[in-house]
Amino acid sequence: MIINGVTIEDTFAEAFTMRVARIVITGKTARWAREAALKLTGFATSVIGCKCEAGIERELAESETPDGRPGVSVLFLTMDKESLPEQLIVRLGQTVLTCPTTACFDGLPAAPDRLAVGKALRVFADGFQGSKVIGGRRYWRVPVMEGEFLIEETFGMQKGVGGGNFLILAEHADAALAAAEAAVLAMTNCPGVILPFPGGVVRSGSKVGSQRYKNMLATTNEAFSPTLRAVAPSALPEGVNSVLEIVLDGTDAPSIEAAMRVGIRAACLGGVRSISAGNYGGKLGPHHFPLRVIMGNAGKPA
Amino acid sequence: MVVLSLRTAPTRALELAGVTPDRLAQLAQREIAALPVRHGGRAAALGDFFAVKGERAARVRVEGDLRLAEGLGAGMTGGELVVEGHAGRDVGVAMTGGAIEVRGDAGDNAGGAHPGAARGMGGGEIVIRGNAGDDAGARMRRGLVVVTGDAGRGTGRGMIAGTAVVFGAIGPDAGRWTKRGSIVACGPVARPATFRYACTYRPPHVRVLFLYLRERRGLDVVERWITGRYDRYSGDLAELGKGEILQWAGE
Repeated sequence: MIINGVTIEDTFAEAFTMRVARIVITGKTARWAREAALKLTGFATSVIGCKCEAGIERELAESETPDGRPGVSVLFLTMDKESLPEQLIVRLGQTVLTCPTTACFDGLPAAPDRLAVGKALRVFADGFQGSKVIGGRRYWRVPVMEGEFLIEETFGMQKGVGGGNFLILAEHADAALAAAEAAVLAMTNCPGVILPFPGGVVRSGSKVGSQRYKNMLATTNEAFSPTLRAVAPSALPEGVNSVLEIVLDGTDAPSIEAAMRVGIRAACLGGVRSISAGNYGGKLGPHHFPLRVIMGNAGKPA
Repeated sequence: MVVLSLRTAPTRALELAGVTPDRLAQLAQREIAALPVRHGGRAAALGDFFAVKGERAARVRVEGDLRLAEGLGAGMTGGELVVEGHAGRDVGVAMTGGAIEVRGDAGDNAGGAHPGAARGMGGGEIVIRGNAGDDAGARMRRGLVVVTGDAGRGTGRGMIAGTAVVFGAIGPDAGRWTKRGSIVACGPVARPATFRYACTYRPPHVRVLFLYLRERRGLDVVERWITGRYDRYSGDLAELGKGEILQWAGE
């Protein structure tokens, strides 16, 4: 399959089941909601080192938030049920609670699994907290120097998908970056999906484990590292001198698939040789995203 | 939906406690008409006063001038009760769930407590699209009482928790002996001396509450109440003092 001169490899992305929560942060202005969301989702690129993966899903208009103010929707993922509330309590307490004007709401009210996050953070009020039930949802009011911080008592948790991805194999680093930027731009505001890495892009796609250092969980993917083409078995076609990866996490497989479709389409630019994807042979992750099937309606067969 | 239309106007107090949506949801039309009520203290049947339409539904509409009807929706645990017209005293007394909407005025003790009871309303929502009498939301433990007109004396008196919202004016002794809970006053309120001024601010939960009332309950909430500043008075300081009167203070 070729789209706009770029080969879509006959391979698939392999993704894992993770636990996901959706946090809605509102503020007096979109800027302050964003400031809180940026801090909340900072250092949350990969569970390998950050214990969680998080990112801004999209910005919300006044009409979409419970308090009628501009907001930001954040997706927050961990590998297991236990670490999601731990991470949320620590991070929301240090970032959203501290940020001027913000309030914090659950974005998955229908999820039956409830995480007592606001319930834990209320004790910051040292006994001066108060609660309100509005429309069947309980909120905690935490008095702070600015005024009052409002946070929902519980947040929904559901199964999500982590590790959807595709690789941009380009003739040079500038072309890879331009294609990655175009892909990220196209995927901005895709519902149910976040791109947890810096600017949505990863340059250091890794393999599992190490061939030399036994305490390393993940090390460089030499098969895709152009500088190692001559000294290690390489997966790079001739003429490829730089590879960038886009990693997608989301609430469900169809959302990831939809985002991959628009992202891959946007990445098919000049200087890009092919689009590939990372997998582990199909045995580790339950979710498979075959590139050619996803792009089925977007291009002509090769 | 079950519709109860007033056919014979009561001449004395007509006690309707027990005629609740959760109960009507279990009953056939004939059984609904046979439900016991009291008229001027004497035993009667619901069907003596009301024409009954529909059966086995937790959505109930009551039509007619019900100023003499007492205890509409009292003790209800769920479902929806709409009163098309004025209602008498004790609307939703000691209810624990569900929603009541009065499309007219309500008498005293709406969302209040039974005489001598430590607690009144334990949950649910009452919306009065009109004026309320005295003691609306008295001794409430949880829940929401909204009055779009004026409210009388002792609104939210002895509240344990919960929320009372009044769009119009509130009479004297509002929130007297309140432990926790909020009284949101969009109009003037006669505050007891045992409430002390804390600050003027924009309470985030009031925004959420008013937007909920506008969007989910279809109430005419003006923008300046949603976005405005409120004076916060803490009280009753002769009690626990964790309650509040929030009085609208401007945009």
